[in-house]
Amino acid sequence: MADQKTEKIIVAFLCNWCTFTAADLAGTSRLKYAPNIRIVKVMCSSRVDPVFILKPLLDGADGVLIGGCAPGDCHYSKGTFYARRKIALAKTLAGSMGLDPRRIRLSWIPASEGPRFARVVNEFTKQIEALGDNPAKREVYI
Amino acid sequence: MPKASTVVIYGTNLSGYRIAYALSKLGYKTIMLNRGAYVDEVRNQVLTQLPFDLCWACAYAPQRLFVGLGAMQILYNSELLELTGTAGNFKAKVKKRDPFVNNYICAECEKCIDACPVEVEKNGKKQKAVYVVPKMFWENIFLIDEENCTKCGKCETACPTGALKMNPPVEEIEIEAGAIILAPEFDEPGEAELAPFGWGRIPNVVKSSDIARAALATNFTEDSFRRPSDGKLPQSVAIIVTPHFNEKGIEYENYNASAQAVYRANKIKEMHPGIDVFLFCRDYKCYGKGHCRMYERAKDNGVHIIRTEKLALSVADGEKNRISFSTCSTKELTDKKTVEMTILITGQRPPTAMKRLSKICGIPAESHGFCDIVPFTCAKTEVNGVFAVGEFTSPKGNPETIWEGYGPLREILSWLGEKNVAKPQPPVLRDVSHEEAKTGVFICSCFGAFSDKMDLESLVNRVKMFPHVSHAEIINGCCTPSSIQETAAKIKNSGVNRVVLAVCTPTQKLMKFRKTVMIAGLNPLLSEFLRLREDVIQVHTDPARMEDKAAAMIYAAASKLKTARALPTLMDNIGSSVLVIGGGPAGLEAARYLGEAGYDVHVAEKTDHVGGMADILSKDLEGHEIKKYMAQLLEDIEKNEHITIHTDTTVTDVSGYAGNFHVRFETKDGETVEVDPAIVIIATGALEAKTDQYGYGKDERVMTQLEFEQKLAEGKITGGHVAMIQCVGSRNPKKPYCSRICCSDALKNALTLRKQGIDVTICYRDMNTYGFKDDYFQAALKDGVSFLRFDENHYPKLEASDDALKIKINDISDGKDKEVVSDYLVLATGMDPNRENNEVFSNLFNLRIDDDGFFDVESCACPYEDASKRIMKPFELSSNGVFVVGTAHSPRSFMESVMMARQAAGKAMVILSSGKMAPPNAMYVSEVDTSKCTGCGLCVDVCPYNAREIDPVRKVAVVHPFLCDSCGACVVACPSSAAFLRDQREDQLIRTIDGLLAV
Repeated sequence: MADQKTEKIIVAFLCNWCTFTAADLAGTSRLKYAPNIRIVKVMCSSRVDPVFILKPLLDGADGVLIGGCAPGDCHYSKGTFYARRKIALAKTLAGSMGLDPRRIRLSWIPASEGPRFARVVNEFTKQIEALGDNPAKREVYI
Repeated sequence: MPKASTVVIYGTNLSGYRIAYALSKLGYKTIMLNRGAYVDEVRNQVLTQLPFDLCWACAYAPQRLFVGLGAMQILYNSELLELTGTAGNFKAKVKKRDPFVNNYICAECEKCIDACPVEVEKNGKKQKAVYVVPKMFWENIFLIDEENCTKCGKCETACPTGALKMNPPVEEIEIEAGAIILAPEFDEPGEAELAPFGWGRIPNVVKSSDIARAALATNFTEDSFRRPSDGKLPQSVAIIVTPHFNEKGIEYENYNASAQAVYRANKIKEMHPGIDVFLFCRDYKCYGKGHCRMYERAKDNGVHIIRTEKLALSVADGEKNRISFSTCSTKELTDKKTVEMTILITGQRPPTAMKRLSKICGIPAESHGFCDIVPFTCAKTEVNGVFAVGEFTSPKGNPETIWEGYGPLREILSWLGEKNVAKPQPPVLRDVSHEEAKTGVFICSCFGAFSDKMDLESLVNRVKMFPHVSHAEIINGCCTPSSIQETAAKIKNSGVNRVVLAVCTPTQKLMKFRKTVMIAGLNPLLSEFLRLREDVIQVHTDPARMEDKAAAMIYAAASKLKTARALPTLMDNIGSSVLVIGGGPAGLEAARYLGEAGYDVHVAEKTDHVGGMADILSKDLEGHEIKKYMAQLLEDIEKNEHITIHTDTTVTDVSGYAGNFHVRFETKDGETVEVDPAIVIIATGALEAKTDQYGYGKDERVMTQLEFEQKLAEGKITGGHVAMIQCVGSRNPKKPYCSRICCSDALKNALTLRKQGIDVTICYRDMNTYGFKDDYFQAALKDGVSFLRFDENHYPKLEASDDALKIKINDISDGKDKEVVSDYLVLATGMDPNRENNEVFSNLFNLRIDDDGFFDVESCACPYEDASKRIMKPFELSSNGVFVVGTAHSPRSFMESVMMARQAAGKAMVILSSGKMAPPNAMYVSEVDTSKCTGCGLCVDVCPYNAREIDPVRKVAVVHPFLCDSCGACVVACPSSAAFLRDQREDQLIRTIDGLLAV
């Protein structure tokens, strides 16, 4: 199971219009990036409930990345801003639960910036590797 | 002889695309002649003159869809050879050559590239003789470099789908067509035309369009404007608007030139504040929505805007550019600036295709060499059944180009026979609600290409062990016609009722994947598509970790599907009538258009008569007979039994949504009228702005341009000297927009006065004569109208006495203080939005009002005045059934308002003709579990599309699927978990997260 692995797992929630498409572009452009990331497509980053951020962290993921459209560029005009608030909340909650808020990252990556997607994934993976195993992996929650 | 129903579209400008799209929707087949070898080899305006560095590839998206449906056919490498017959029964002789690779069959496995033995160096990069042209967002285009290809045939043999044909023959075919649309792309000035600016000759002089092009794939990042000579970031940049300085008749300034210059300057300055930016122009022609604000921003950003009459470029220090220019006080080139790079903002050349097309189709060119069209129509040529649109008919901006795609629809339809494209019937779907969930995983091998990079067998064996998977196998693909059928059969045979397709990017192939699942008899909500190629195969290298990741993705998808539920696509019946609010020229034009097409139209007018402001105007600058046109329009409206006019009415209440509005209005006598329009067209107009400057209102010799025009028409101005001051009370921080019509009106009246021998002086800041209107500025100069130019910070001063009006002005063209003694002072006060009115309708219809007080509706501003991504939706629905036309939207001339009305009416016609409509997102919408909903209304507040409201009776939220774009903001906001997305319920997302962590 997850706790035996040294390999870090990052769960990424990517918005359909921008970051998910940027990942697509990174793929079609054959850019290489760290394979730790596992993608969940959401229509909008504002769909990401704080619960979805905290749950994987409590269940053994080492990091959570949320990717959305740049402010002003949001397909749903305001989604990015909703997302920002939700993620700020999630970080605060994470802190109070003893999780490191640095394991949560929000990035705005436009659809046409495949290279940036690859860079963000690599950066974040490095950061998570530096933070080490998520201690919550071994703990039991009720 | 029955009329033909097919329409031939020559060229690929944006108008042509829009017409093809609209005709396809209406059930007519179109054949598009593309002179290039691939979709945008011959570039149209949208991809060449982007003032915003946005990717507009999706403007082509309908092409892909309708070709797939058989409603559209594209002939590549094609040319029109001959046109015979008459409207309704044309015969077009066409030459064509199919592309090397058929995009619809190509799986993009790139085996051809691997097989090609030839490798050459192109632009410093190694390239095979079979290659992919710049990856456009939605499509990769494989081409053969004919120069270097050895015709060994290895690529053709390697192609697993038979998409590649090495030697497609040149063919000649004859097409029977009801109408011909000429939509050739716009011609960019080349080296010869840009010789005065040294393009191609002096190093580091680049065209803005090249930067836009380079920026397409990356947005505008540092890389797109590096110096060609050494690849470094320039520390100083000059931006030159070339049509201002080029010889007359070589290139014409279109809508975006000035704005593009300022946009470019702002972008550079905002990204690199340290770079010096010098912008050279004669005038800042900024008549589009928001363009003046861009100018204000440029000033704030520290862009040096230099207005000059004359300039010249030369080389300095080997790689730098020296720009010598005249200062205001002299016409000599006395000043100079040395910069590291120069960006040219170019205009538009007369179309090179004109001569040939003129010969073939018998259509004349107008005096500048563009295609001549009949006034007051937006696309009719002198030959019946032949239409010309877009960049081909005059220098134009993207908004006009797009409008022309819908404007001439009704006239085109009048030459066509019976509909010749039937909507395909969707496959019958199996009811699986009573079955236990059985998930099948189908892993694509991309015709063997994936197997080379990953052990698919091992993956399949691993996947078979997963708890929610009951079947797993490898497929060849599901993106070519045969592989779609093959895979659908495999799904059917396996007996599963949930499908995971581990394939490649749904950005391009979503419809194909959905089709595969539907042919297998399953609702697409019961399927998941994974990007095995983009998320695993092409981005990672370690085989073990690749398999882990792929397995995790499949585990999560299968786990998610366990609780998926099938739901039908919703359908909405839509009404067949239209409500036009406002009985001015724009409103009446829309009413006539739709009335003559047979739709019921109600026109609600506030005053006691229709006709609006137009009764004051008799002719426009170009001499079009507005009075005559209005008389005809009113007569046609009177005659038409489908059109009902309601005068003296106030709209009091609006409910419903696109397709099903319910509008109530009251007449003066207190009577209530209720209508149920499917579409609402708002044409409430604007007001003439008034001022308190220059003694206006106190001195009767001082009047507005409109008042003066009336006096002039009545013959009350017989002598003396007339002075005009432009931009009174506008284009300042308080009112930062240009009213678009004042410069034309001033020139029109000045030219009339000169004919009567009356002296005219025009005091101006910038001469906003766009397109061909500049001719009239030149004519006025020749006719002896004197022009004095003042600085925006130093407006002329008036000294009025009983016998004369003395205007004191500092003329910046020679720096001298001057005095004009005149008998009349005419003020160009421009237009004001009808704020009170706009506020009312903004509340009733939930429309946005822009910073200037006009309506802000994307579909009309389209595309770049409000750069929005909503264009991904069906175009005509981006405004949710409400169209704002004419001056209610922004300052427009008479002709422009009429054209805007026609495009809205054309769009309305496309919607109305269907009678029924599925929501834009088919079945992928949000819904409400009414048993949990408490009616708190939080979801209503967060919904960006107003797709939710609280049912006043049941006190629960309801969703209008027509408006929903399934973002999911409501789901997160809902405190009682009543809101959910059909394809991604709360529990499904949790299952997905758990699934991703399970492997």
